[in-house]
Amino acid sequence: MSIMKSNHLTDEILQAFLLKELQDDTLDPHIAECSSCRAKLENYQYLVASLQKVEPEAFSFDVTTVVMHKIELYERQENTKKALVFWGILVVLIGSVVLISFPFLLPILSVFSSMTLFTNIFIVGTGLSVLIFLLSDIYKQYKIKEKILFEDNLQPIV
Amino acid sequence: MGNESNHLSDKVIVTNILNGNIQDFAVVVKNTEKLIAQIVRKMTANEDDQKDLVQEIYLKAYQNLSSFQYKSKLSTWIATIAYNTSVNYLKKKRIKLYDMDFLSENKYGEYETIEDKIYKKENAQFINNELNKLPHLFKTLISLYHLEELPIKEISEITNLPEGTIKSYLSRARKTLKDSINHHFKNEYYEK
Repeated sequence: MSIMKSNHLTDEILQAFLLKELQDDTLDPHIAECSSCRAKLENYQYLVASLQKVEPEAFSFDVTTVVMHKIELYERQENTKKALVFWGILVVLIGSVVLISFPFLLPILSVFSSMTLFTNIFIVGTGLSVLIFLLSDIYKQYKIKEKILFEDNLQPIV
Repeated sequence: MGNESNHLSDKVIVTNILNGNIQDFAVVVKNTEKLIAQIVRKMTANEDDQKDLVQEIYLKAYQNLSSFQYKSKLSTWIATIAYNTSVNYLKKKRIKLYDMDFLSENKYGEYETIEDKIYKKENAQFINNELNKLPHLFKTLISLYHLEELPIKEISEITNLPEGTIKSYLSRARKTLKDSINHHFKNEYYEK
């Protein structure tokens, strides 16, 4: 960048000098001697001082309310989407299991119908107990893993 | 030290939001809305568009919060989103971010011989009006540098422009402002 333009300091140099972005010992004497450059520098001083007096513009609406309304709406939509995906997958899975097991349903039912009521209750009860035990164990394991995962990394800091 | 404490508080807030405390995002909005106003309001004067832009900016920030890597301040990161979203808005509306003609010519020419006393008259409103006449990019840069007092490095991160380019644009914008003020007060002086 050329410092001098027809024996005067350029606007860029004067601004850099004013904003202390430039250190050059030769500038001070020139500004002291040259009335034109001094006048320009004073103009810039006035401009920078005036700019600092300008009130920063603010929005005419409540930003937090507007934004949080949008975020909450987005979260609701996301939760609805997630719920739809979850129930959709569940329905498809159950439907698939029913469809696949359909040919075996009658033979299975015939096994149950040939036994006494007490035996049937015993078999179904045992099956349900095992299922509940497995589900509770899966949930317990999930909680332990969640604790390990979040304890060091994403635990909320108050 | 200041940077570290900023980093820590950013981390606390981001972690809380990622853990499901949505209401903590309001703190982020409150902390950054002044800075975002300097960008959005300089890009459009239409209040409805400002509302849409602000919602879009903060929604993008919220959706991508998990990808925030603490390489910069959270406010700088959101300001970058604000700048890019606003620039895209201008592109969609086919509005120029800045005019190349503005860079190559001076509207008012040189008026350096005005009486200092007249020049130093108080007129913040006039300066504000002149500031708003600058191209969108220039008034945004002037606001971020002089009103928000952000360092050039941070403005460079927000706008993704090289520091040298920002300095050059700022210098050009200040020269235009200085010349328009000179022009205004010169006319006022001759009218008297």
